[in-house]
Amino acid sequence: MQPVTSDGDLIQRAATGDRSAFEDLYRRYARPVFGLALRRLGDRGRAEDAVQETFTSVWRSAATYRPERGPGAPWIYAVARNAIVDRARARTELPADIPDEPSADAGPPDRAEQSWVAWRVHRALEELPEREREVIALAYWSGLSQSEVAEFLDIPLGTVKTRTRAALGRLSEILEEELEGEPVE
Amino acid sequence: MTDFDDLIDSDDLSPEEELRLRRVHELLLQAGPPADLPPALALAPAGGRHAGAEIIDFPLPRRRWAVAAVAALAAVVLAFGGGYVLGHSKGQSAFAASRVVPMHGSNGALAMLRIAKPDQVGNWPMQIEVTGLPAQAKRSAYYTLWLTKGHKPVEPCGTFRVHGSTTTARFTIPYSLKGVDGWVVTAQQAGADARVGPIVLST
Repeated sequence: MQPVTSDGDLIQRAATGDRSAFEDLYRRYARPVFGLALRRLGDRGRAEDAVQETFTSVWRSAATYRPERGPGAPWIYAVARNAIVDRARARTELPADIPDEPSADAGPPDRAEQSWVAWRVHRALEELPEREREVIALAYWSGLSQSEVAEFLDIPLGTVKTRTRAALGRLSEILEEELEGEPVE
Repeated sequence: MTDFDDLIDSDDLSPEEELRLRRVHELLLQAGPPADLPPALALAPAGGRHAGAEIIDFPLPRRRWAVAAVAALAAVVLAFGGGYVLGHSKGQSAFAASRVVPMHGSNGALAMLRIAKPDQVGNWPMQIEVTGLPAQAKRSAYYTLWLTKGHKPVEPCGTFRVHGSTTTARFTIPYSLKGVDGWVVTAQQAGADARVGPIVLST
């Protein structure tokens, strides 16, 4: 597997005005940021704004990133979260009715943990070769069995399983090597 | 529920490797599907550029900007008639950029230029968000954003003053962007409209 430039390195290069590094960060994180924003804001238009705001902030604040304090992913996560919170605060909402029963939904700590997991995983997916990402998406989120995935892609079942296994292995390496840190508070 | 044992043949996996892959499997299930990136934010298929939010690549070295401070003076007249500026400390309203161009200058000054799609008659909305430029001491001094061709600032896009740490300004320009190879911001002094001021930000 070819060594991948770390997020931290890209942030530091972006801080010096390196556009290609900034583009790489965008490629890696546009989808995770959008997903996070969409879950928090529930509105695609405002989620798009939050993505724009996040990357503006990344470009503007890259020089404040300190690699000794942790990897790049938690730093970008914190930047994105701030942009999303800003968008959420800007929203005008009618006061909600107070429910009679406590909600069974996950509370803020659980939601934060779920967001962080999704962030890590979706970020890691961006590193997969297209053919492996495709197989993972079909295997996990399309409702198709592996045999149906093979039929859909017109490839042997063994190839589908081999690609799935390779993708899981690659994801494991990405998640372990690059995303050990926790979100920056 | 997607079953790990249905997904791969795990017979030849070591216990450690199987544990690792199962952990990833669980994380994938927990994470759920990633969001579909909307067209405005999608990556272009060629070269990893943004389709919707394209980073414009300018091929020549940045040092060329230093010699670019000779300018098409006649175009200045167009500049002051063609733009409008909305200055505020944060870009709060939505701006649907189709291209995003980072700019930087000395002393940590940075900017993000966002360019939207043109309207039917060729007006290009754009927004610049500037951080780190010093506020002008004189009320009549200002900054000017230029587009460059042949690495020279040839068409002014609008003027603005800065306040606070971050200033956002919006313009609309009627020029064709064909052949544009960069953008610069110059510092303009009162009474010196006939000259292009020193470049303080460039792509």
